[in-house]
Parts: sequence; structure tokens; C-alpha cells
Amino acid sequence: MSTSLPLGARLSRGIDRVTGAALGAHQTAVIRIGLSFTWLVFLLREWPNRHEMYGPDGPWSWEMARRLTADNHAFTALLWSDGGLWFEAVYAFAVVTAALLALGWRTRTMTVLSMVGVLSLQNRSVFLGDGGDNVIHLMALYLILMRCGRVWSLDARRAAKRAGQPAGPDLTGIVLWACCGAALAAAMVLGDTRMSWTEHGPLPGIGWATALWALWLVQGLWWLAKRYGPGEPRAVLDVLANLLHNAGLLVIMAEVCLIYATAGWYKIQGSRWQDGTALYYPLHLDYFSPWPELSHALAGSGLLVLLLSYGTVAVQVAFPFTLLNRRVKNVLLAVMMLEHLGIALLLGLPFFSLAMIVADAVFLPTSFLRRLGAAVGRARDRLLPARAQQLPVQRESDEAATRTLVG
Amino acid sequence: MESDDGHERAGALAGLSLPARLVVAAGAAVIAVTAAVHLGMVFLHVAPSNTVTKQNAAAIDDYIYPEYEQNWKFFAPNPLQQNVAVQARAELRGPDGRTTVTGWTDFTAQDGAEIRHNLIPSHTQQNELRRAWDFYTNSHDVKEVPNGLRGALSEQYIRRIVVGRLGGGQDGRTVQRVQVRAVTTLVAPPSWSDEKNEPKPAYRVLGWWPVTAADRTEAKNR
Repeated sequence: MSTSLPLGARLSRGIDRVTGAALGAHQTAVIRIGLSFTWLVFLLREWPNRHEMYGPDGPWSWEMARRLTADNHAFTALLWSDGGLWFEAVYAFAVVTAALLALGWRTRTMTVLSMVGVLSLQNRSVFLGDGGDNVIHLMALYLILMRCGRVWSLDARRAAKRAGQPAGPDLTGIVLWACCGAALAAAMVLGDTRMSWTEHGPLPGIGWATALWALWLVQGLWWLAKRYGPGEPRAVLDVLANLLHNAGLLVIMAEVCLIYATAGWYKIQGSRWQDGTALYYPLHLDYFSPWPELSHALAGSGLLVLLLSYGTVAVQVAFPFTLLNRRVKNVLLAVMMLEHLGIALLLGLPFFSLAMIVADAVFLPTSFLRRLGAAVGRARDRLLPARAQQLPVQRESDEAATRTLVG
Repeated sequence: MESDDGHERAGALAGLSLPARLVVAAGAAVIAVTAAVHLGMVFLHVAPSNTVTKQNAAAIDDYIYPEYEQNWKFFAPNPLQQNVAVQARAELRGPDGRTTVTGWTDFTAQDGAEIRHNLIPSHTQQNELRRAWDFYTNSHDVKEVPNGLRGALSEQYIRRIVVGRLGGGQDGRTVQRVQVRAVTTLVAPPSWSDEKNEPKPAYRVLGWWPVTAADRTEAKNR
């Protein structure tokens, strides 16, 4: 943006930008795909342990969770019934919605359903999680605000196929919407949901009952406007959706900055980070050294431990400020992603690391993400040549090739 | 950050009527204020205790908990410098009514063995017992007196984990009571430093807890 423009002109350009488009289509698609993939793999990995972790008879029993949530009012559908079948259904629901969100099928509905799955499991057993669960929890809430299915989704592919044709009634959408409404109504009538209309919800004064019904109504309103009010009503909703998306994107970016700033600034105050021995200690903790030979070899070098300890603090503190310079930011992003790969292996925290790498990716340049998407599309075509020949039309442009990433 | 390619239409507001513009303006104001309040609250929640957070602690907590709670102090201000092993032993009662006490079982060591050479450790191995013990210590004072609901819940949680892992009993003898202790060993200072620390572990031994039917539900289902 040119700085020579007068303030008024710059302001109006800014307003055009945040009302006219959902910014960061590729970045938000990466957040959607990456985090729901992380959550999905986590759920599948913990499948054999699911009863112990979230089941009604696990060490953190249904009754105990009930007592705690009566106190802290966290949202979890798992406590609506103590039946074993209900537990299995909710776990399966979390798996399916995570998969569908990653694929971008009915993305806006899936962001809500997937959030219900994430919160239901995590809030059910709140003493099981770590930083990775925390990232997934927050992002699941923020993703509801996003138009994150504009690229690299089944929705985008369907929209491209339909381009130019008159909009049909969208039977699948109507059925899905009706099912969601019926399920919510049934839950509130039959289950002991304890959802308030005005309290203990995602925002002050808005209970979960209000929030979920409002999301459902907005979805219906959207469909109505698309079908019967293609002029101004549709345009107004479009602008509001863009504004909400862009605010959500800002919140996600600020959240990532807060994560690094907190992690960095608190470390500066620690004597072990000051004397450069900090990293030595986690490498000798039984819970965080799955490869003791490797950890101890690394910790054996005083110089290496010093460099990595100082480097970690420097990078974490510096990160938010490097956003002012594109090139420095990109270098730092690469460094942080590599560090998280190291953490995944050395400290045995693969899901935390993956979630952080995905969160970092919100700052990756669009050009890089498009190239990455094209490369993934080509790799898929090579692996599944029959499919590529069936759909030659998809590979005509760069944009179409990237769209096949998850299609 | 670059703009969304191809979707940007300059002047989305240009063709709108006045009422439509007012709706958009109202929506924009609500969204902007909400986002600003949210980010402000999250910032105050993760920031160290300061003038503003001290004066508005209740309002900030009301906003943040439970769904926006977060903690990013990874290994900060200082990393944990000790290994805490949670161990337990059981009092068993045989069919003849005689009681025997088992040796200590080190459940943290069992977790460690399962984490070793594991690319994707489970939360049941890495977090369950570790965080349950944190929960216990955070909700009890040094005399092991629980502080309210959380204290009571943490005791039951530890007991259920231990009873579940002990497996309910041995050779037809049922677990009557369990005793839990934590053995804390400081990580030895680096070989390249001249620091010394206490090599002897410290013990925190809790009293015997009677095992009730409510503690056994998991053991039964295993």
C-alpha cells in the first residue's frame, strides 16, 4: 500500500479490502486442513485408549467430570448422557467431523460440528491435555468465524463445477441443516444439556444454547438470501461474512503472536534460560525423553545447549516484531517450524508440534502455499494416475491443480 | 500477508443502499469491538500479574474461563528440573480375612518405559498421571489438606488411576486400601557445569486411602 496516498484514500482502500474479500484464503485453508488433520490423527491414535481417556468409567469418571463442569461451566456434549453408546457416538462424531472439515465438505457447518467434537472431548477430561490440545481448542472456536473453505476443499471444487449454472435448491444442504436443527432440538429436550441461553457461553451474555441456535439460524438465513434475495440481502451478508472472517484471521494471527511472546518473555525471566543450561533439563525428564540416547548426547554438549537455549528465546521473543519485514519473517517461520520438528521427536510431543507448525503456517506467503498446493496436486496425480486422467479438466490451471489437494 | 487472489472486488459497498450500508456499519462496529475486547482479554490473561489485571481479575477470569483458558509458559520461567515418580502400594485382603501389604509399584516408571522409543506417545502415558499429580499438589496444602471441590476430586482421580492400574487385586485378594507417594529426584547437574545438587530423592508420602466401590468402576471394566 502506498504511503503517499492521503489518509482518507488509504482508509477507504482498507475498508474495501476487509469488506470486499475474505483475506488469506490459502492460509486459512491450511489452518482448517492442518488442525483438523492433527485432531483426526490424534483421535485415531488414541482410539484404543478412548474409554480410559473420555469414557464414562475412565479414571476421570463421568460423575467427577459432571461435578467439575457444574463448577466451571465448560461445554461438553459427552456429559449430556452417561451411556456407553452415547460416548461411542460422540467419539465417532468427533472423528467424522474432523475428517469432513479437513476435506472441506460443507465447510461452514463442519467448523461448528467439529468444534462441538473438540470441546466435548477436551472439556470432558480437562486434565489430560497439553499445549497441543490447547491450540486445537482455541482454533476450533476461531474457525467458526472463517470462510476457510474457499480453496482446497470439496466445497470449492463443487462451486467451480457449478460456475455459470443457475443455483439449484441444494438438497444436501437443506437436509444437513434440518438434521442439525433436529439434533439440537432433540438434545435440548431429551438430554440433560444444562446449556444456558444467557450465561456461560462463548461470549458474555450469550449462552451455548443461544450460540448454537444462532449459528443454525444464520446458516438458514444465508441459504434464503442466496435463493431468494440474490441482490442486496446477499451482498450485505457477503460483506458481513468477509468482515467476520477477517476479524477471525486477525485474532488467529494475534493468538499465534501471543503464544510466542508469552513463551519467550517468561523464559527471559528464568535463571536457567539466562545461564544457557535450560534445554539440558527437559532432555533429562523421563516424561519428555523418548529417545534418551539422543537426548543425552545432545545435552552432553554445553555449547550446543547454550546456543539452542539462547536461540529459542531469541526467536520466540523476536517473532511478533519480524512480521514487519516479510523476508525476516519467512526465515524465522522456517526456523520455528524446524524447531518444532525437533521438539516433536526429541521431547515426544508430535501433536503439539504439528499443531504449532500449522498455526505458524497462517503467516506463510500465498505464493509459497500455491506452489506447495500445486506440488501436492502433482504428487497425488502421480500416485493415482487413473484419477488424474478421469479429471483432466481439473489440471488446466494452477488454481485448479491446487484445489485437488484434498479433493 | 497478500490479499486473497481473484476474489477481491474493489468497493463491495459501492452499490449498496443506505439501509444496507447502515446494517454493514453496525455489523462492522460489533465485530471490531468484539475482536478488540477478545484480544485485550486474552492478552491480560497471559500477561504477568499487573496493575490492570489486579484491578479487573474477576472480569478477566469471567471472560476467559473455561473456553479461552491458555498457558504458553512452556518450560518457563525455568524448565522443570526434577523427575517426579508417582508410586503406590496396596493393602490386600484374602478370603481368610488376613491382610497383606504389597511393595511399591512405580507407575511413572511404567509410563516412561512406554514412552521410550515411541514416536507418538499416548496422552494416557505422557499426561494422565503426570497432570493428575500436578492437579493433586495444586489443590492441597503441605499438610495434604484438600482445598474444596478440586482437592476432593484430585484425590479421587489419583485413587482411581492407581486402583485401575493395580488391577483391582491379586490372586483373589481384593484391594482394601491404597497408599500413594511421590519420589522427587533432582536432575543431576550437567557434567560440563560445576554445580552440585542433592542426589538423594525426596519423598512425599500420603496417608492410606480406603478404596470404595466408586473407585473400582474402571478396574472392573479393564
